[in-house]
Amino acid sequence: MAAPPTETRRDLDSAATSHRGDRIFNRGITIAAFTALLVLAGIAIFLGIAAVEAITTQGWSFLFTTEWKVDQGDEPVAGIWGMLYGSVLLAVIGLVIAVPVSLLLSVFIVFLAPRRLARAMTNVIDLMAAIPSIILGLWAFYLLSPPAEQWQFLLNKYLGWIPIFQNDSGNFNGTPFIAGFVLAIMMIPIITSVSREVLGRTPPELINAAEALGCSLWTMLRHVALPYGRGGIVGGIMLGLGRALGETIAIFFVLKLVYDINWYKIIESEGGSVATLIVATFGEVSGPYELNLLLAAGFFLFVGTLAVNVIANLIVQKTGRSER
Amino acid sequence: MTQVLDREQIAEWSAQQPRRPWTKKPARLQAWIAVAALLPAALVALIFTYTEIPGPILLVAVYFPLQLLAAGIAAVATKGRQGAADSVIIVLAIGATLFSFIILTSVLGSLIVRGFEALWGEDGFRSSFLFQNNVYINPSTPLEYGGLGHAVIGTLMIVLIASLIAVPIGIATAIYITEVRGRAVPYVRFFVQAMSGIPSIVAGLFILTVLIVSGAMNQSAFAGGLAYAILMLPTVARTAEEVLRLIPEDLRTGALALGSTRARVVLRVVIPAAKTGVITAIILGVARVIGETAPLLLTSLKSDQTILNPLTDPIAALPTYIFDNVALPYPGAVTRAWGAALVLMILVLILFTLARILGRDRLNRFR
Repeated sequence: MAAPPTETRRDLDSAATSHRGDRIFNRGITIAAFTALLVLAGIAIFLGIAAVEAITTQGWSFLFTTEWKVDQGDEPVAGIWGMLYGSVLLAVIGLVIAVPVSLLLSVFIVFLAPRRLARAMTNVIDLMAAIPSIILGLWAFYLLSPPAEQWQFLLNKYLGWIPIFQNDSGNFNGTPFIAGFVLAIMMIPIITSVSREVLGRTPPELINAAEALGCSLWTMLRHVALPYGRGGIVGGIMLGLGRALGETIAIFFVLKLVYDINWYKIIESEGGSVATLIVATFGEVSGPYELNLLLAAGFFLFVGTLAVNVIANLIVQKTGRSER
Repeated sequence: MTQVLDREQIAEWSAQQPRRPWTKKPARLQAWIAVAALLPAALVALIFTYTEIPGPILLVAVYFPLQLLAAGIAAVATKGRQGAADSVIIVLAIGATLFSFIILTSVLGSLIVRGFEALWGEDGFRSSFLFQNNVYINPSTPLEYGGLGHAVIGTLMIVLIASLIAVPIGIATAIYITEVRGRAVPYVRFFVQAMSGIPSIVAGLFILTVLIVSGAMNQSAFAGGLAYAILMLPTVARTAEEVLRLIPEDLRTGALALGSTRARVVLRVVIPAAKTGVITAIILGVARVIGETAPLLLTSLKSDQTILNPLTDPIAALPTYIFDNVALPYPGAVTRAWGAALVLMILVLILFTLARILGRDRLNRFR
């Protein structure tokens, strides 16, 4: 009853936190909320130490050369450039396949399909996202690889004069193309679900206006929907890219790791991927020094994917998409 | 003179679906569409039956261009040149849809066909495959013996440990963002988002350095659970945040006005009101991690025995069981991998469906 009658507005937050139980509650929740930061910082520090050690013993050639001779001889040499480049190459192949497919899929779901079919397709896409990567890897190894070798053989036979379809070994197994294809399958649901949502939020009055002006579907997409959703779509593509860079197991069985740099021959049986390198080498790691090199490789993978993801999320957020 | 409109009349008008006279296609257009859709397929089917050209080439090099061309001609004939671009988009969009549908069917179909070889023998359903472990089993042992019981127990144990860690922290993070609303909210959301981008292998490496290389503990279910928790936390936090946001503000202010403290409002009013949503968040978190393999390869290794101690011994899990069996040059081992993959996929599907059902319930209640 002590509240003065002239007070019209009370600060509920400060009133509530004056209670002792609430203060404890708030403090506990706040501490828990910073776990994410703690984990990120922990990863950066622990793997960062390994990276510093690798750079000091190997020099910057750890990043810019391609070699992995650690267990033989007494002077270990290691460089992950080929693997870093391989990761990017695979992701680019994946993007080349996944971006058009995802955009067309979201156009189909948002603008073309009847509502029932659209809902079913949304479920199909979500289900695709739910397939564990090990199952995708198993499928890729036994069901995708054999026919894909045929496709690549034909590509090489008829389009072999194009540099990217060169193949000197005659072996079409474990190529960047197959691994990139698997990554594309992992990226499609991510990119589709973001761009579907963005395209679906195109203001209907803009679409109606375009239709009233006599725009065809293509003109409407080109001049209204795509420009409107551009930011979100780019963000979605980068989210997919982040996923592709860090993917390990789905491509483990279908990519032949070679400690050499394969610049562009996507249907040659030579590939590289940092994440896959870590798993492949961990199984037969020779000692603490090699393990440390793997941790260092993990650090650069972490930095790369983190950068891509942060930028992607900033872009997606800027276009006003609610988080997912 | 202004005319006063009847409220009911307005409500009735706005409830009506807008008519779209242009969506009804004239008969001529429908005929063209039918011809353009059927003719290329029929033509290619004929070529396929009477020549030796293999199917995939025919599909890519003949059918696809032909279908595009047919759609283009039909579009130009009915709608003029402007229709050509539309027809290309429509054909490509349907193509992309079919592509993703075929991929999904192929993955699930192969899982069912190959998986049942492990689960179903001449003697009917092989429950031994689900309940036995891998002791005394080598890759060439017949499928009647041994199974993935130990891996199922391992997966359940690891996921349980991960949930016990990630769920409270994840929900607390969501509560911080929606209920406590401290000054750091934008930063916390940023960190959670950044955390969701951590590659699973990096989560495994982190736990490996902190716990195992440092000598604090052995590779074990607990270490695997910690690595899983890192991957699970962002999913739980973000889904829970979305759910808590849906709780009407009136509930909170009402409870505060009745004199309850903030902590009580959250624990007794907000969380119970969002119960199904919070459960959905947990399920989605579990579904996110249950198939992750890379972190377990580093943190929990493998085992052939049924391990019940989560702290000291390496332990098997479904994903690592698949991983170990895939590459073995024995058909029996590969069949085991497919069987385990089917079991894993069924687990994921159950979680997925549960989340869908609960999610629908949640939307109905608050929207």
